[in-house]
Amino acid sequence: MAQASSEIQVALPATVALHARPAANFVKTAMRFRSRVTVAVNGKLADAKSILAVLALGATGGTVLRLNADGEDAPAALDALSACVAGLTE
Amino acid sequence: MVGIVLVSHSYELAHGLAALASQVAGDEVRVEPAGGAPDGTLGTTGDAVRDAISRADCGQGVVVLADLGSSVLTVRHLLEEGRGNGHIRLVDAPFVEGAIAAAVMSSAGQVLEDVARAAEEARGASKF
Repeated sequence: MAQASSEIQVALPATVALHARPAANFVKTAMRFRSRVTVAVNGKLADAKSILAVLALGATGGTVLRLNADGEDAPAALDALSACVAGLTE
Repeated sequence: MVGIVLVSHSYELAHGLAALASQVAGDEVRVEPAGGAPDGTLGTTGDAVRDAISRADCGQGVVVLADLGSSVLTVRHLLEEGRGNGHIRLVDAPFVEGAIAAAVMSSAGQVLEDVARAAEEARGASKF
């Protein structure tokens, strides 16, 4: 089976931290895909499909997230997550 | 969606956590609190838990989290009475983290098995 791993960087909107509802929206977007997806911030790495892991990142507004997806639908997952992050509101 | 029931000795704890879980996961998930004794003191009653399960149940199962000790016993006793026909699941999970994890998994449309597992896996999650 072909596996593709891709990575992108995307910044959180300046006024939106990756907490509570925004974090849940991010996690729910990641869960729509089969790929393994991780999010790295400030040297910390989290499973993008785990709300508790994402909350523990403590990513504040404007922070750059490094998203890595590994699997057949990796490009689609990263596209969707990139759009999700850019559109997050409090 | 899978319903979530939060059983605590404290009315405030159960209701506060339900509000938090709903804010994180969204209003579409049924997160129902059952906390405190009828006279306003600390305690749990089978009736309150039964009512909360009924409110949370929309046919796809219910995950029940309890805070400590006799809250757990109250739920177990109720489930042994036959209310739990397999689709009501008491999980051994940290109360706050388990509730948040379960509510988000449910809101993402996951099935009972996966929602219950997410709650139990919350035990291993670091806060920072």
